[in-house]
Amino acid sequence: MSSASAVIVAETVAEVRSRRLSLDRDRSRTGVMLVIPAVATVTAFLFIPIGEAIYYSMTNWNGITSQWIGPSAYLAMFKNPLFWRVLENNAILLLAVPVTLVCGVTLAALLNERVRGWRIFRAAIIIPTAVSWVVLGIVGIQAFAQNGMLNSMLGSVGLKFLEHNWLGSPLSALIAVAITFVYSLVGVNTLIFVTGMATIDPSVYEAAKLDGASWWQGFTRITIPLLRRYFMFTFVITAISAFSALFSLIFTMTSGGPNYGTTTIEFFIYDQAFATGAFGTGALLGVVLLVILASVSLLQLRLMNRGE
Amino acid sequence: MASPVIRSEDERTEPLLEPLTGAKKRIRIAPGRAVIFAVLAVVSVIIMYPFYFMAVTSMRSEAQYQLGRGFSLSSWTQLFASVPVAREMMNSLLVCTVAIAIILTLSTTAGFALAKAHFRGHGLVLLGLVGGMMIPVQSIIIPEYVNFVGLHLINSYLGAILVYVAVGTPFATFLMTTYFRGVPEELVDAGRCDGLGYAGVFRRIALPIAKPALATVIVLQFIPIWNDLLVGLLFLQEPTVRTFTVGLGVLASSRVVSIPGLMAGSLLSTIPAAAVYVIFQRFLVSGLTLGASR
Repeated sequence: MSSASAVIVAETVAEVRSRRLSLDRDRSRTGVMLVIPAVATVTAFLFIPIGEAIYYSMTNWNGITSQWIGPSAYLAMFKNPLFWRVLENNAILLLAVPVTLVCGVTLAALLNERVRGWRIFRAAIIIPTAVSWVVLGIVGIQAFAQNGMLNSMLGSVGLKFLEHNWLGSPLSALIAVAITFVYSLVGVNTLIFVTGMATIDPSVYEAAKLDGASWWQGFTRITIPLLRRYFMFTFVITAISAFSALFSLIFTMTSGGPNYGTTTIEFFIYDQAFATGAFGTGALLGVVLLVILASVSLLQLRLMNRGE
Repeated sequence: MASPVIRSEDERTEPLLEPLTGAKKRIRIAPGRAVIFAVLAVVSVIIMYPFYFMAVTSMRSEAQYQLGRGFSLSSWTQLFASVPVAREMMNSLLVCTVAIAIILTLSTTAGFALAKAHFRGHGLVLLGLVGGMMIPVQSIIIPEYVNFVGLHLINSYLGAILVYVAVGTPFATFLMTTYFRGVPEELVDAGRCDGLGYAGVFRRIALPIAKPALATVIVLQFIPIWNDLLVGLLFLQEPTVRTFTVGLGVLASSRVVSIPGLMAGSLLSTIPAAAVYVIFQRFLVSGLTLGASR
């Protein structure tokens, strides 16, 4: 009896061990099989092209033939005043990022008060997020044109002297693009901050209120510090959008003009490659854009880890 | 025993807070709440105004638009006469559906592998894919375009779809990996005890419970692909393969259609994305805040 059961036990132990070994093998083999399609696709259509972009950025590529220039292509670009003009446009657009964040957190705090009809207000604030920037560009022209919505609004409130063909001069056109950008992204920012505020324990506010804190003190001393992560996150996604998501808006609203006044680096890539045929220059600008975006992302990781 | 205790505690905290704040607000902050309501109402009206403008303007003919009054459907008929609306909508739908289906397939399989079916070097693969998230489409679009000219993928749905897939897959995979990491290891073990291999665990256990994550990926990909102009403009140039957004962008820049007609088109293009948005709103939030809460 006992020896027979010992044999069975020994057998099952061996069986279990061999099964575990085969399961481990099954695990790593299945893992590799499952990951290959994604890795192959991303390699072929994302990593190889970015490698090509880096190579061609140092050539005078026109899409068909190319001659090697070397890293000096970058130096030449850094000496080009148009390049700095474009980066300056990007820098001005970046000023819209804190505006978006402040609007977003303010609206979220107001929504968080749950006044009557807050769900309807939330829906209204969020809706522009779903709208294509092609559409926003088309509507934006109507808003900022000489006989557009903004001018008629200014006229009706007695500020007729501020009337202006907003898309007609470089700086005001850039401001018009920035306003449209804020309009489009306030919704996402608000949504994220509303989610963040829902994670804050209401009893914290109650305790503060019992200590005589005002709503404003609660907002500045409790809400904002506790939303630190959310601020960094919204800052990064909004800044990345400012650099890399405005193509359709600029294309429909201003086509980069007047006089490169609204050309950002992403639009400059398109302009160089597909309007003037300087594919090498376009590739180089693409690499510069990637470096900028990677720096923003790495900065975020750095800051987030330091906060722990 | 345990559940009544918990419930009563819940009940105690809830009403305890409510009357307190309610009383305070009724006495002191009631005007404050009216101000909040007013501010939200004004902001909502400003935000919704462009939609009102689109709707009203699209309901006027060019002449009525100039006059600022009147009502007619002529701009809508003009839009449908000058733009193959149905064809472009079908193109958009096709490109979006296929691209998202491929992204879902690639990201669920890879996400499961990277979260549960570990193999040598899985950390490195994940790092590479996360790095891919940083690459904007503008940085690869020129070499991609030239490559696809060589592969005869310009003016083919497949070309545009592959670009969307390449740009969308890294983030989707990151999202699915995060989701599958949250699946308890016990569930995987239970599946294995029932004689399933890892492929079986993926198909029978992990995939069915990943529906919320799939919905998140769908909404996060649908809106940018539906609304994309750059990729479509370069890879789908022919009117027959053009998406609706590209058609609208081209129409806007060519300025052959009247403003009311453009407004009609704009309104039309907004409807599908807004519908997906409203339906999947819950999942959008969870996807968006993934990076914030970690």
